[in-house]
Amino acid sequence: MPRIELLRPTSVEDAVALLANREGSRCIAGGQTMVAMLNAGLVEPPVLIAISAIEELGAIVEQDDGTIRIGAAVCHRDVAQFSGCTGANAVIREAARVIAHPAIRNFGTIGGALAHADPAADYPTAVVAAGATIEIAGANGRRTIPSEEFFLDYLTTALEPGEMVTALQLPAPEAGSSGHYLKFSRVDGDYAIASVGVTLQAKDGRCTAARLAIGGCGSTPVFDPSANALLLGSRCEETAIAAAAELLVSRADPVDDVRASAAYRRALIPRLLRRAVRHAWSQAIGVQ
Amino acid sequence: MSTITIKVNGRPRKIAIEGGETLLEVLRVQLGLTGAKRGCNQGVCGSCTVLIDGRAARACLHLAGLAEHADIVTVEGLASDGELSPMQQAFVDAGAVQCGFCMPGMVIAATALVAENPKPNDEEIREGLAGNLCRCSGYVKVVEAIRQAVHSKGTAP
Repeated sequence: MPRIELLRPTSVEDAVALLANREGSRCIAGGQTMVAMLNAGLVEPPVLIAISAIEELGAIVEQDDGTIRIGAAVCHRDVAQFSGCTGANAVIREAARVIAHPAIRNFGTIGGALAHADPAADYPTAVVAAGATIEIAGANGRRTIPSEEFFLDYLTTALEPGEMVTALQLPAPEAGSSGHYLKFSRVDGDYAIASVGVTLQAKDGRCTAARLAIGGCGSTPVFDPSANALLLGSRCEETAIAAAAELLVSRADPVDDVRASAAYRRALIPRLLRRAVRHAWSQAIGVQ
Repeated sequence: MSTITIKVNGRPRKIAIEGGETLLEVLRVQLGLTGAKRGCNQGVCGSCTVLIDGRAARACLHLAGLAEHADIVTVEGLASDGELSPMQQAFVDAGAVQCGFCMPGMVIAATALVAENPKPNDEEIREGLAGNLCRCSGYVKVVEAIRQAVHSKGTAP
């Protein structure tokens, strides 16, 4: 039986102090990935810092300026049921809704999923599409980082040693904005073979803002501002979506694995993107 | 090694832990509650599903040492006074059991589903049970059992 010291700090400051001072320590929140990795012998931390008891990490707060702060220890189920994710932020709620299975969504957390940074998981793609900001705490206090700069490589983030994710910050939803997350997998609850996160804004029948992200097709969510720009000013018609898709396919670097071949994933991108953008666009022009 | 108390099926139970034990190991090995099964030990198969504070949970993905304040219910805790719960009885009546390995997890997942959504339709039943694999592939009668439980009794099991 692995001997692991379990610590339960009650503040973020105490947690990061422990992270800095205890050799080999790791955070655990819902444990839905950490314990699976322990069981598989992939990690052997001598110390686990349980962060679920830290009050500020367990709350979703709608702030006065319309932004939303989702604490790192909020479980997928609570995000999926959070009615405040409106407009473009619906992409986050829709992603939370399709992560794994009910029993996993009851305990798995947004902070854990972001820090784990599996590019085939649902949150990384959704938060990049949402233009969300990730809040990080370390020994020197807090900092924030745009989500597209947070994911550096497969299972690798911009977190420095001794740092932890404390929250996801969502921008205030703009009028006429919409968001959609579309996941393609063979079996309900599996990791995505490929997925698409889209947020759009429509004004006078034209697209005035767009963020497109592709999951499962590279070491990080595939994101390129130039692809977003191809939709600006358009009515999100087929030709505009196809041009954006072509660019994103060229940026994708999928692998062959047990779920699908790289070529199959590349072939999925334009199809899923078209479906996701058309859905989001119909919502955006419906709500402006 | 430290000793802590966890609450299982309404009773406080003392357990000894090194820290890395999963709730599943403690239930099966220390407490002799072998209803929850160890299938994949990765949270994929659902055969270890128990209730933690009323919600379906993978016992293999929870550390026992972090479960001190949780209210845990295993399949052994569903029956009361020798009477099967309505959901258990529905599984028996529908003949939903084949080899039986997945059944404790299926019954617990179904119990959690119906506690939250007392009248699920077939699609909601399938989605609620999507995280529970039956390698006999006997899914049809499981859905029938749950349908029967929610429509014949009219109450949450």
